Amino acid sequence: MKIILKYAAALLAMAFALAPIYWLITISLKTEIDQFASPPLWFHFTPTLRHYEGIFAHDAFGHYFLNSLIVSICSTLIALALGLPAAYGLARFRWPRDWANGISFWILSNRMLPPIVTIIPMFLMLRELRLLNSLAGLILVDVGLNLPFVVWMMRGFVEDLPREIEEAAMLDGESRLGVLLRIVLPLVRPGLAATAVFCLIVAWNEFLFALILSQTESAMTLPVGIAAHVTQYEIQWGAMSAAGVVAILPVLIFASAAQRYFVRGLSLGAIK
Amino acid sequence: MSLLVDNISKRFGSKDALRGVTLETRDGEFVVLLGPSGCGKSTLLRIIAGLEEPDQGVVTLHGRDITRLDPSRRDVAMVFQGYALYPHMTVAQNIGYPLRVRRRPSSEISSEVEKIAGRLGLGHLLRNEPKQLSGGERQRVALARAIIRRPRAFLMDEPLSNLDSRLRIDMRAELKHLQHELAVVTLYVTHDQVEAMTLASRIAILKDGILQQYASPNEIYHRPANLFVAGFVGSPAMNLLPGTVESGVFRRAGLSIESPPPGGRDLTLGIRPEDVDFSLTEQPGWTPARVWVTEDLGNETLIRLSIEGAFVTLRAPAGTRAEIDSLAWFRIRPDRVHWFDSQTTEAIR
Repeated sequence: MKIILKYAAALLAMAFALAPIYWLITISLKTEIDQFASPPLWFHFTPTLRHYEGIFAHDAFGHYFLNSLIVSICSTLIALALGLPAAYGLARFRWPRDWANGISFWILSNRMLPPIVTIIPMFLMLRELRLLNSLAGLILVDVGLNLPFVVWMMRGFVEDLPREIEEAAMLDGESRLGVLLRIVLPLVRPGLAATAVFCLIVAWNEFLFALILSQTESAMTLPVGIAAHVTQYEIQWGAMSAAGVVAILPVLIFASAAQRYFVRGLSLGAIK
Repeated sequence: MSLLVDNISKRFGSKDALRGVTLETRDGEFVVLLGPSGCGKSTLLRIIAGLEEPDQGVVTLHGRDITRLDPSRRDVAMVFQGYALYPHMTVAQNIGYPLRVRRRPSSEISSEVEKIAGRLGLGHLLRNEPKQLSGGERQRVALARAIIRRPRAFLMDEPLSNLDSRLRIDMRAELKHLQHELAVVTLYVTHDQVEAMTLASRIAILKDGILQQYASPNEIYHRPANLFVAGFVGSPAMNLLPGTVESGVFRRAGLSIESPPPGGRDLTLGIRPEDVDFSLTEQPGWTPARVWVTEDLGNETLIRLSIEGAFVTLRAPAGTRAEIDSLAWFRIRPDRVHWFDSQTTEAIR
């Protein structure tokens, strides 16, 4: 009885979470008439791939997709490359008084600000740097967005490593940088993978900055491109849903590829 | 003189970890740093390794000042309490790591690894990962990694303390033999006095960051420099009985000894448990006492007597029977007595 209740609760939660996705997928497969049928057609409709053909025929979609891929992968790699050494320094070096915590908190506090507050200064800065409407500009912004998270996550993982292992490596003749690259990096890999997936998802889904900072088609990312289906005269539900479904796929791939690390990484103690 | 530690001091916050410690060692010597936890022995080892910087003092190795040198450039190897093996490498990679860092050709590395592994009985484990090994095997891998590059000094921080007691005794003997073969100066930290006595050519006893005595195990045991050393080394510990000298006789409640050394009035008498004679029947000139407890160890019996609020522990032959609370007699062998000044705690010789 208890088990049945448990499964019932789990199913309910799952239905709640997956209903919008189901709705998205079905709309992407329905003709315009079926989309607006009342009462809604949950299961009985004739599926069509018209909308998918439509978005792939439309050149810009592939372009947005590629932009999104470039921005999220590059920004994630840069955020990890900058964040891991920072986290290592905060976790391991001797700081005067409580500076390590102070600096960490300051880094985190950058995430406490609602992003919209920073959008105008960000716009002005990127304009000065001539990085508006460029992928480089978006990459830079996403790095800034993800860096605090990387530093915090990785600081925790580094602190969980036994210090003795690093000291042993130094006595074996390894430099600090060598310790970071050849000892710490392989040992925090599960944590790094979990962090990377999170960064990829944040950058992939990022809408606000991409909307304001890239107004030309050449630099637009997928979320902005999808939103462009809301036009002055109509909302192209079918095309928008089809694009939405395609946009979900990379996130699913990132997450399932790193799932093994994800659970281990988020459940503390990377190598205990 | 191979390794010299000269007047080292170190503070952590408001606590003195080491105060003016000076130690010199001879080539190939096995020096044990012994003391209770928090006495500064590990800190001293870490300063020699370069993992801590001293506030004051100099460390030299074969005449070279290494005080401010990076750990990687000191040419010392260290074995840690937790072994500190690299979990993401195989046993062979762990052992060969110091050579790999030095960019030796891989053919040379693998032949060296095989040689060392064979010597330490690890030959069949080279492809395993550290987590598949037992405690004793991990310990051996850590040792192999330390000796493969033939450092100028070995530092060992309680390397045996995570092993079970039988294995510890085996490894202790193995370690001593290995150190003898390699003839490299070794500094070994432990709080276990049996390890210290069995391994060391000289023992340095530390307390509260101050060096108490630096001498051979024999000297430490038979001529302790002060009350702390006397009480710390030896199991069961030396009996220490404070008393006063009046007109040439040392007195304390229930006990008096003639002809104490000249000098102070407040003395502490020290006597090892094996230097106290025991009898169940009255003997002329012996001191009466109550049996407080007896502990039969098989090869000997430890008897603890109670005299006027103090205890005297003594070793009696195996099979000695004595009822708790029964009356017994003991005699302190006068030629084996250690005298200490109760105020300064220093030995009087």
